[in-house]
Amino acid sequence: MATDVYTSGEPNRPDSYGAANRDIIRVLLKPSVAYLALLATSISVMLFGGWCWYMQIRWGMGVANITHPTMWGVYIVTFVFWVGIGHAGTLISAILFLVRSRWRTGVYRASEAMTVFAVMTALLFPVLHLGRVWQNYWFFPYPNQRQLWMNFKSPLMWDVFAISTYFTVSAIFFYVGLVPDIAIFRDHSKGLVRRIYGLLSLGWRGTHRQWHHYMAAYGFFAALAAPLVLSVHSVVSWDFAMANTAGWHSTIFPPYFVAGAILSGCAMVISLLMPMTYAFNWHKYVNTWHFENLAKMCVLTSAILSYAYGMEYFVGWYSQNPYEQAIFFWRADPSADYGWAFYLMVFCNCLAPLPWYITKVRRNPWALFIIAAIINVGMWMERFNIIVSSLAHNFDPATWWFYWPSWVEWGILAGSAGWFCTWFLLFCKTLPAVAITEIKEMIPPPVKGSLEAK
Amino acid sequence: MNRRNFLKALGLGGSASALSACGLDDNRYYTPVEQILPYVVKPESVTPGTPTFFATTITRGPEAHPVLAKHRDGRVVHVGANTRSPWMASIPKGAMLELQKHYSPDRFKGPQANGNSGSTVSWEDGVKQVVDAVAAAKQSGKKIAWLGAYRSGSYASIIASICDTAVFWEPMGYEAEANAAEALFGTRMIPRYDLDDAKYVLSFGADFLNSWGGNRVAGGWSKARSHTHGHHVARFALVSPYRDQTGANADDWYAVKPGSQALVARAVARIVATKTGYAGPALAALGNVDTAAAASAAGIEAAQIEEIAAHFAAGDAVALPGGPAGASGSATELAAATFLLNIVAGSAPKLFSAGGYMAPVGNAADVQALVAALESGSVGVLFVDDCNPVHALPNVNVKDAIAKAGLSVAFTSHPDETTDACKLILPAADAFEDWGDEQPVAGVTLLRQPTMSPLQIRYRPPGAEERVEDGWDVRSAGEVLVAAGRALGVVTQNDWRGYLHARWGMVYKALVLDAATDEAPADDAAAMAPEKDAGFAAWLAGRLQEGFVATTTAMMAPTVTGSIPWQDATPPAGAGQYNLHVTPHAHIRDGRYANSPWAQELPDPMTGQVWDSWVEIHPETAKSLGVSDNSKVTLKSDAGSVDLGVEVTTSVRPDTVAVQLGQGHTNNGRYASNIGVNVAALVGAAKDPQGAMAWQSAKVSVTPSGGKADLISTFGGDTDENRNFAVHVNAKQFGENGDAPQAHGGELTGIHHLELDKRLVENGITDFYSLTQHPTYRFGLTVDTDACNGCGACSIACYAENNLPIVGKEKIKEGREMSWIRVNRYFKGDETHFVPMMCQHCGHAPCESVCPVLATYHNLDGLNAMVYNRCVGTRYCSNACPFSARKFNYHTYVWPEPFNMQLNPDVVTRTMGVMEKCSFCVQRLRAVKSAYKDEAASTEYNAKVPDSALTRLVACAEACPTHALTFGNLNTEDGALNTARKSSRNYMPLDDLNVMSAVNYLAKVSFHAPEAGHHGGGHGGDAGHAGEAGDGHGGSDHGEEKKHDEHGGDAH
Repeated sequence: MATDVYTSGEPNRPDSYGAANRDIIRVLLKPSVAYLALLATSISVMLFGGWCWYMQIRWGMGVANITHPTMWGVYIVTFVFWVGIGHAGTLISAILFLVRSRWRTGVYRASEAMTVFAVMTALLFPVLHLGRVWQNYWFFPYPNQRQLWMNFKSPLMWDVFAISTYFTVSAIFFYVGLVPDIAIFRDHSKGLVRRIYGLLSLGWRGTHRQWHHYMAAYGFFAALAAPLVLSVHSVVSWDFAMANTAGWHSTIFPPYFVAGAILSGCAMVISLLMPMTYAFNWHKYVNTWHFENLAKMCVLTSAILSYAYGMEYFVGWYSQNPYEQAIFFWRADPSADYGWAFYLMVFCNCLAPLPWYITKVRRNPWALFIIAAIINVGMWMERFNIIVSSLAHNFDPATWWFYWPSWVEWGILAGSAGWFCTWFLLFCKTLPAVAITEIKEMIPPPVKGSLEAK
Repeated sequence: MNRRNFLKALGLGGSASALSACGLDDNRYYTPVEQILPYVVKPESVTPGTPTFFATTITRGPEAHPVLAKHRDGRVVHVGANTRSPWMASIPKGAMLELQKHYSPDRFKGPQANGNSGSTVSWEDGVKQVVDAVAAAKQSGKKIAWLGAYRSGSYASIIASICDTAVFWEPMGYEAEANAAEALFGTRMIPRYDLDDAKYVLSFGADFLNSWGGNRVAGGWSKARSHTHGHHVARFALVSPYRDQTGANADDWYAVKPGSQALVARAVARIVATKTGYAGPALAALGNVDTAAAASAAGIEAAQIEEIAAHFAAGDAVALPGGPAGASGSATELAAATFLLNIVAGSAPKLFSAGGYMAPVGNAADVQALVAALESGSVGVLFVDDCNPVHALPNVNVKDAIAKAGLSVAFTSHPDETTDACKLILPAADAFEDWGDEQPVAGVTLLRQPTMSPLQIRYRPPGAEERVEDGWDVRSAGEVLVAAGRALGVVTQNDWRGYLHARWGMVYKALVLDAATDEAPADDAAAMAPEKDAGFAAWLAGRLQEGFVATTTAMMAPTVTGSIPWQDATPPAGAGQYNLHVTPHAHIRDGRYANSPWAQELPDPMTGQVWDSWVEIHPETAKSLGVSDNSKVTLKSDAGSVDLGVEVTTSVRPDTVAVQLGQGHTNNGRYASNIGVNVAALVGAAKDPQGAMAWQSAKVSVTPSGGKADLISTFGGDTDENRNFAVHVNAKQFGENGDAPQAHGGELTGIHHLELDKRLVENGITDFYSLTQHPTYRFGLTVDTDACNGCGACSIACYAENNLPIVGKEKIKEGREMSWIRVNRYFKGDETHFVPMMCQHCGHAPCESVCPVLATYHNLDGLNAMVYNRCVGTRYCSNACPFSARKFNYHTYVWPEPFNMQLNPDVVTRTMGVMEKCSFCVQRLRAVKSAYKDEAASTEYNAKVPDSALTRLVACAEACPTHALTFGNLNTEDGALNTARKSSRNYMPLDDLNVMSAVNYLAKVSFHAPEAGHHGGGHGGDAGHAGEAGDGHGGSDHGEEKKHDEHGGDAH
């Protein structure tokens, strides 16, 4: 596919600061027909999802197929999926920054954007899955005459705080990183666009003093964001682990969920960056070195996940808890309602990443792209398995019932992808999707005489 | 503006707007003001917000139920049991369904001519037409005929005096019993069964726990099963090719071939007679029967007949006839054989007696004779009353025959296929609007009085006069009959009430005047017209307030004076391969409640099917036919054919398929029409030699027609997967040890009164969050799964009391049914367990801790309270609930007018997006607490309500015909609940989750359960072995040890 695939472990470097600027800014030029078509599709799908949501508000949750006893379906599955997606971005931007991992530079901006948009997408779901969505402000601790207060014992309440914290921190972190790059855009644009970029760049002039503060702030936010990688998905997993439902009520959930989140996030980064790299011809900035590292992350987290899957069965067997045993054996029963979903999940998350142990496969762009896509499907199926199959076979066998999403739920799921893609597409064309200033750090500075010669 | 000024301006502006909102201007409130005006002169019986109760009687078939109609703001909103009555002090499902029928939007709004969609006529015209037609018929020598449902008391009397031919017939009725009684005892009646003291109940198919015999038989059976009643537990054996909901409660099921039950009954009787040494006339009437031949005809072992006989001869045994299930070509013989069996066993008159329903009971042959008379044109006037032969007898040409009557008058209040054939419809007042009386059994007269005026929908547009938008203009059928009777010269009174008073006057005379003759002889006037006596009005007021007049309820021994010719077995005949078994629908019965959404929506107890008809096929048969659940098949008999969906079940013999009568209406209102199929089409017009309808006489072929039917069952799994939902104890051990409080209760039960439980405190096992204290009440419920027979009355009562919406078939397919009580049906080996499951009001409720907005919380009374207003609909609570007891409002459901008028004003209706669940009828709890507070004149809010006022307080417990549900206060140390919790039968599903339910269950008593091991009944059977299914609770082992210690300590 590509001839510039680089195999030595170091990326190609642009020739100069100017070349870096030009490569990134080039993207802002007149959008292609393909881009516009993609954007139009995303917006249409998003609007369709919005219409589905309107139907749900108008006629009640009954238009979704959530049923008794499976009261959570596609919405919460998709919520967890999107929250999980976000995690890779923060991992790459914050943790890899803190540990000074060099390969982060090319991919972190797009990953971080993905995080912000994924969390924005995830935030839709706790709202739109409400039976009375118009009362959603009751989740927030606001003073009121009726002396109503929320229940801090509820994991959903923790969720509200975890996700909103996560969104706030990752959005600020994202924005702080963008400031010097926006200033470059400002400097290379004119008219109204220049004014907008000027506003957004917060008067960045690249002075020594500004850089000094900037680096401190960036490091600080990175440190603040880093624990969120672990905490947010742990809190999300408590939505399940804290309820006594068999198949949910498990102490292994937090690490299991975090590993899954990173797997899905890294796979998503591959899925997003691979086409971008080719579309924008950014092979100098993002290339096999990055993808290979992402694939390695996936291989690691996939192994953790496989272990967690196995451990669920071990715990079920070892605890001799009949409810737990029943739910896990039922999940794995190929003839059961959701047996196919279980095996699809195992295939996608445990088996599909295995070829990445082979260096050649890990460096093949097609293999990378396809396996990453499979993992994305698998991670959605994982949440489907956990949420739906546990509820559908709850404690009382007399209530067991089959759940399958309605067109409204599928529509909202698609709409959420449309919403995410719309944001991401707009981002690609308006903001630097590769961190220009950090790329420049890797280029020998344009000084007279060679520093290395000294 | 600087900051200081800005803040000043903000403060001023803010307070000004706040003041204006507080009423400085005219607009005092944001919400529109409606005037609530108090009565100027308050009617004596009306206190706003407080219900008034009227004693009245609801009748279905020969059963009459004394009830209290709960009246609020001009409307009856609920029906409760009249516990003072000596006859059946519990309400049947039917009473609830009658209540819903009363508010049916499909009810006739007034008299109309020419069928269901005919033109309106006035009552005056209608009555005039009847009077003229009756007079003309009399003149021309044509017959005045009556075709209607069973009627007793004054209605039976006036009908008999007016009509030349009166046929009282109901599909799936009691004609075989009446025929048999007439043949053997010389009296046409339905015998009376008192199961209270029975030790062995042998049923040949009668659905005596649901549609047959009324609540009294079901209640008697539960007493016979109750250990408190003595040291025995009644055993119930079923001899029938099909096991319905009643049969599912049987301890032994002998699945005999259809048509052979009479032979089996006689064979049993002969053996019993030998064992008891009976040599009376019943023996001769039994004729000769060979046990081996009977067994072979029935397809069972001769030893099984011996076994039945051995049980029967052991004493206190009672045989019940076949009911509709035994209505083969030898229906009357079967009834007769069971009567004789009871007599030879010496069970009469203690368990089986003659003083039953004495009013006329017609045969299918009588209906057919009437149809023939109609066709010959000899009937001048035909009255049709609450009976739908056009639907029930599709192979008898009823519809065309009715058209040939000079005038056909329907008194039926709701449209059905038969009223559609009538020339004049005079919709009669129903049980809530009419005067009347019923005699369900000799010596008991139940009175009926109007409890509300006919419905009107009124509307007052703003600033205008109130106007009546719609109304139901109904009148008593009695008024029409009195007018007709006057025209014929057989009735002298002016109106129906006068007619009733004259009859009730005779009762007054017998009970009061004649009893007083010793002192002062009644004068002649009083003797002639005792209703004119000065004391009559007061006496009657008292009786109406009580709702009954009981003279004697003594049981009369039947005397065998006649005999009956016996046939051999009468198997179904026809071209098909399979025997057809027709049984009444569990809730709709013979079709009379088909237009009641409650009856349609309530799952069939055995299959969970709703809103449809289906055919039940044995798994082996299904396999050989290549069909499975919900496959579409065509059933074809010589008489007709129908398409049905399949329900595979072991409740039917492999050579038999079972179908439910009652559905498949074409013109019976919006809920009934085009639901299911009318299986009566498969049954010809066959009768037994005595003229009783032979429902079980057809053979059918079953052809898979490919594809899927549209059936929907609300049931999930068939078993409890050994999760301790269905638990049994050994009957023998239970009979010996009883239900008495045991030192070793259920293992974990102690944990449930946490404040009383020192163990946890001593062991330092306390919760992170402190538990709610229950200073006065901890309300709870006991569910006796042995007494529960699965009828579903609790569920319907709950719908009525708590304004549960009906969602319909399409929504049930999506799992959207709203019933707060789910009567779970589990199969445990051959046993069927019915386990009503509702909110368990857990002390440690998993739902409470997960609700993010505190919409559900634990209150001081131990209720798991649900604040509908606060709910945002995350549905997390439902996911967390291990009992899946919560129901979600997926939509805002509506009640078509006037169903909304039945809504309980004490309970809010919920809108979409809100979770709901059993509230333990919190509105009733509030009411009773307030009442006791007033009574005790206590300043303390929680003046303690005694247990006796709580036992049947909640709607489900009130409605349960077998008293399987007992409500109470767990804080009452020696109350019913604590007693139940100490029982050897106590178990709590999912106890190991430490949810600390307020609901406990009592295990089913089973003759087939394995005997328990070592320490007595305490750990008898499976009860108490909660930990066996679960992972156990940390404290349980320790707690048990402690209990041992305590026990040892006591012994010292």
